[in-house]
Amino acid sequence: MIKKFLVSIGSYVLFLKNVFRKPEKWKIFWRQLIIESDKLILSSIILVGVISLFIGGVLVIQTASNLENPIIDKMYIGYMVRESLILEFCSTMVALILAGKMGSNIASEIGSMRITEQIDAMDMMGVNSAGFLVLPKVVATTILSPLLMLLSLALGLVGGWVVVNATQIIPPPSYITGIKAFWNGFYVFYSCFKMSLFCFMISSIAAFNGYYAKGGSLGVGRSSTKAIVITSILILLADLIVTQLMLY
Amino acid sequence: MIKVEHLYKGFDGVQVLKDISVEYEAGKCNMIIGASGSGKTVLLKNLIGLMTPDSGEISYGDMKMSQMTDKEKKLLRQKIGILFQGSALFDFATVIENVMFPMEFFTDWSPAQRRERAQFCLEKVNVIGSDKKFPNELSGGMQKRVGIARAIALNPQFLFCDEPNSGLDPYTSILIDQLISDLTKEFNMTTVVNTHDMNSILEIGDKIGFIHQGTLLWQGDKNSILSTDCKELRTFVCANTLARNIIEGK
Repeated sequence: MIKKFLVSIGSYVLFLKNVFRKPEKWKIFWRQLIIESDKLILSSIILVGVISLFIGGVLVIQTASNLENPIIDKMYIGYMVRESLILEFCSTMVALILAGKMGSNIASEIGSMRITEQIDAMDMMGVNSAGFLVLPKVVATTILSPLLMLLSLALGLVGGWVVVNATQIIPPPSYITGIKAFWNGFYVFYSCFKMSLFCFMISSIAAFNGYYAKGGSLGVGRSSTKAIVITSILILLADLIVTQLMLY
Repeated sequence: MIKVEHLYKGFDGVQVLKDISVEYEAGKCNMIIGASGSGKTVLLKNLIGLMTPDSGEISYGDMKMSQMTDKEKKLLRQKIGILFQGSALFDFATVIENVMFPMEFFTDWSPAQRRERAQFCLEKVNVIGSDKKFPNELSGGMQKRVGIARAIALNPQFLFCDEPNSGLDPYTSILIDQLISDLTKEFNMTTVVNTHDMNSILEIGDKIGFIHQGTLLWQGDKNSILSTDCKELRTFVCANTLARNIIEGK
């Protein structure tokens, strides 16, 4: 089992080496980058947006129900909601959701190409198939994912504001004061960095699993599931390590 | 010309190819024939470099594959066209984009020139008016034709076809065979066809190599195959009714 694990790590590193080789033609790379940005990032906006809106609202209710002490200023509810969103929800939770959506998309797309010999056809033409298929996905998700995090943060706060206004659970001005209080820009950078790292892991690990898929359509399904499971676990592990390194 | 010398290949202790030596000539349809599991596809994959032989040598002209650098292998691959068993057309691209794909990577042609060449290739294989269709909108025969058009897009010196007739009706099979044969002669390509279809073999087999359990048992052409003394080959050939009738003089 240890040998298998080490072989997988080695194969992954060699795969990344091929992925990050200089593209044959930059023009083709930029074109693919735009296509992948649309397919992986823009198409995730609605999912991320809807989830963020609801989570923001739920966080307000949960936080308010836990801070019913009259000596605690209500603005702290807004403050805690914002911090929860920035520090954990908008990066880690969104990344876990994207691991399912983007991870399965990438692994099944590349896996299907593998079993129908499309990747072999590219290799035989002399095209670096890993570079052509995977590099634009990895670059698009790594660079653009912080935008999803920022969108998630904005919509999470909006969701909270809507719930505050609708339920009057706390006075709306207190919520607004809270979400503007004790602002720490480093936390946003930390969250954006985490999101980039997680999305790099999602795209590269899913692509790796798809690229080496075998065993027909069942194999594609297996590689897709494996990609999501491995990525989810590694995201949680990386979250722990990055948090320890960057916040303490 | 492609030359194979004393090629061996095995997997997990099982020897799949044993001492294969053969030459494939330019301007001819060279057929690799044999029953399923005989080692045809493994031989083809070794020829095109998707697998590395355990021992032996494959030479393209004067260049030995084992001594080629990665750069030389990449250059060689641009001279090779391949038709895969399932056509292997790219799902994300239309018919014309599939044919233009290798040109985009390996030529400096303008988009108009690439389109013109792709149209030429598609006309050669008689696919007209389907430029904007995606592969899943085409029939099996059409997909094979587009696969051939893509394979000849860069004017290759070598054309490899893996089971070009699999999944096709007899009439379309003959058309595809004829197309491969005509293109081979027109462009003087060294064509290697991997098949177990007797109709194809009798139709276009300029040079035939019969593989049985990993060994090249017989070499000849479509005229001599029916009068062979090789017992294993006769068994293989007689599985086809037409060929059996010819042999038995019916």
